[in-house]
Amino acid sequence: MPSPSIPSRPKYKPFALIPTARTHLIIAEHAENLPDLPAGSSEAPIEFWVVVNDARAIGTQRLNSGIEITRYRSVPHLLDQLAHRLEREYVGLQLYAIGTEPFIWDVARLSRAHGLDRDEFHPTHSGTLRRRVYCVHCRSFTDNVSTNIVACSGCGAQLQVRDHFSQRLAAFMGFQVDAEVPGELPPIEEAYP
Amino acid sequence: MSNPGTLALRVREAEMIAPLLKRFVLESADRAPLPSTGPGAHLRLMLKDGARKYRNAYSIAAAAPDNSTYEIIVRRVPRSRGGSVFLHEHVDAGTIVEADFPGNLFPLSQVARKHLLIGGGIGITPFLGYLAHLKGTPTPFELHHFCRVEEEETFGQLLRRAEGGKIHLHPELVTEFDLAQLLRTQPLGTHLYVCGPEIFMDLVLATARSHGWPGSKLHSESFGGAHAGGAPFVAVLKRSGLEIHVPEDQTLLEAIEAAGVEPPSLCRGGACGQCMTEVLEGEPEHRDHYLSAEEHAAGRVMMICVSRAKGERIVLDL
Amino acid sequence: MTIAFKPAETFHDDFTYRNSDAGILRFPFPFGEDAYMYSVNIEPHVPAGPSPAYLHAFDVDEHYVAECRERARVLALDPSRCKVLPHMMTAQWDTLELIMESFARDYPEYFSLAKNGSTWTWINRPLGIEDKFTFGDASTLPYEPFEYITRQAQGDFTLQDQRNDNLFVDGGMVTTQADWSLEFDIGMSFHEWHAPVPLAHQIGVFDRALKFLLRLQQAQPVRRLNWTMTINPRLDTSPENYPVWGPDRTTVTPENLPEKVHLRVELQTLFRLPRSNAILFGIRCYLASVGELARVEKWRKRLHRVLRDLPPELEGYKGLNRYRQMTIDYLAPFDDGAVLSKGPQPDQASL
Repeated sequence: MPSPSIPSRPKYKPFALIPTARTHLIIAEHAENLPDLPAGSSEAPIEFWVVVNDARAIGTQRLNSGIEITRYRSVPHLLDQLAHRLEREYVGLQLYAIGTEPFIWDVARLSRAHGLDRDEFHPTHSGTLRRRVYCVHCRSFTDNVSTNIVACSGCGAQLQVRDHFSQRLAAFMGFQVDAEVPGELPPIEEAYP
Repeated sequence: MSNPGTLALRVREAEMIAPLLKRFVLESADRAPLPSTGPGAHLRLMLKDGARKYRNAYSIAAAAPDNSTYEIIVRRVPRSRGGSVFLHEHVDAGTIVEADFPGNLFPLSQVARKHLLIGGGIGITPFLGYLAHLKGTPTPFELHHFCRVEEEETFGQLLRRAEGGKIHLHPELVTEFDLAQLLRTQPLGTHLYVCGPEIFMDLVLATARSHGWPGSKLHSESFGGAHAGGAPFVAVLKRSGLEIHVPEDQTLLEAIEAAGVEPPSLCRGGACGQCMTEVLEGEPEHRDHYLSAEEHAAGRVMMICVSRAKGERIVLDL
Repeated sequence: MTIAFKPAETFHDDFTYRNSDAGILRFPFPFGEDAYMYSVNIEPHVPAGPSPAYLHAFDVDEHYVAECRERARVLALDPSRCKVLPHMMTAQWDTLELIMESFARDYPEYFSLAKNGSTWTWINRPLGIEDKFTFGDASTLPYEPFEYITRQAQGDFTLQDQRNDNLFVDGGMVTTQADWSLEFDIGMSFHEWHAPVPLAHQIGVFDRALKFLLRLQQAQPVRRLNWTMTINPRLDTSPENYPVWGPDRTTVTPENLPEKVHLRVELQTLFRLPRSNAILFGIRCYLASVGELARVEKWRKRLHRVLRDLPPELEGYKGLNRYRQMTIDYLAPFDDGAVLSKGPQPDQASL
């Protein structure tokens, strides 16, 4: 059962610009995740990067608000470009990621590798609450989990999804719920729609 | 926390390296190896000048790889409480001085992708320790040091010992330098370290913040935060019928224990809550992290291991 | 000091681990009062306390050789139990220095360290190790420095990097753990790492502990105790292997309980490391069966009271559900309700 009080579960704040930034780079998993920012929202330049899942996407455009928007063909396409961008960026950049948990924590991992701290990266959760689950026994990931218990995609164990989240793995912990008495399972419920 | 005891140090060498700067090489009085230290560490000396006592902290500018010596550089500050003048006038080769175990309030980031060091005047000392460490690491670094024109040669000599990276000595005021340009063009993951006079540090840090530098990337040397010291006061222990003088360099708990009363205590760092004591009269100066803000404001209880009296007298239920 | 090592003891399959009489009396019994609740029970780690286990920076006891062999066995099956993030190399050398110097100072019959400039010679007699290496050059050791030295020490260790007013668990050697996973938790902040612990967050235990630890000073280590219970003397109760050890919990009967059910105590120590400014966290596990502890009059009565009155949230968190009542029933006849002395000391010099 989800418990919002567990402190390893990321606390997602609503999207907000960091006023001290020198550059804002806002990355969204879907176009509808992009915030509505009128002209003059910030003195610092604002850029949108968004995944459109279209192989024809190319180039950058300027919106009426003055914000530059770049569309990417897929999540890997965007992450590849982001690595290049962060390599050449300067201190003063504030990075925002909006989307599902696996997406925003993939962006987080990349930002961490480029030296961004937690006060320079701002995740906002949007979309499904389905979880990526890491099997602590066999190290496989099981994606799109909506139930409190799920069969591991690797070893097949019936995993209870624990409210313990690893930002590094971008996943919740799963452990075999019937390890003590095989087959002794609590009722399976839809928990993360 | 418990006190691990003090170090007895003998001055092995002392020399004037500039009219106001004196360099000391310290070794253990019994020639045993000194405790290991890291870049940014400081040494708090306990100096006795007749009846007067000074506790002055100095950055360790160099530590021998085999831990046989520490080196400090002391600027003579005539209007200070007097520790630096005492060191300049009365401490020379052969003198034994007492020190606390080294501490470190200015450590290097282990995750930085680049280190940017900005120093002013005697604020060079921790950076000398940094440079000795950084030359053995792959992480890039850059130092900008500001000094008076007449001390350019002295600082130039001190910095000549460092290799690699980029070292810039500026015999000018920091206000004459384009800090903004420097701070706008630092690669992501750069950490900024500032050491020098208060006003100098404030200027550099404010400039960095105004160019979007986040708090996690800013580091400045500060000898604040020590729990032990403060103005002297009198503590009255009502139940024991004792009146105790708490001197400036002793904690309230230590003074109470010295008087033969042993209240419960555990962590001695203001965290565990064991030594919570009821205040009957007077106002506590709270320094603990155990009590809530409301409890601090009410002032009815205090943690005697770290907190002191705000006024000259406090009455405790002990 | 002579330690009668018991190198053949096992912590799996036939479980031949036992405590000698002296080993029972030096057990760091965690209950100083008849009831248990979380607190910031941190105290200076000074050479004093109700058990000889507190007398040295790192305690070495009769199980030393067997525990080091058990660690090697677990690592052979799962090398990821030792993992250190790349920015922690300085902290690795700090750890090696601290443990080597402590062992050589506290147990000169068993360990010695000779330094000639940066060339160090380390001798570990109980494990038959003699190595000459260059301090600071990891290529001169058979493992990275942290793994090298923690393979030669009892108990788990983690390395905490301090940054942004927080502590991050950025490395560890974890083979004797009470159900937490280094692989999952590595890189976490202090509060994230402790997330699964019930009750303690709400009463602010971790906020205060963190503030305190951020100010931890070199040469002023601190310690605290934690406890749980384990079926069989099994050191490796990792989440990774829960499917292997979980079924043990269903095997307890009133007859085998005194041998099977163990009190598991962690002597946790925290050291500020000088070069890296990191914190080394030692989590030393001690195991004693309920039958062994019941040989001490005070302890059998007190353990009965603590288990009887334990808050239900803690029962679940510590995984005692299946056998707590049985253990209480076993201990109850020994408890006449007499007032017990304050503190955890055994109050008897022999068994």
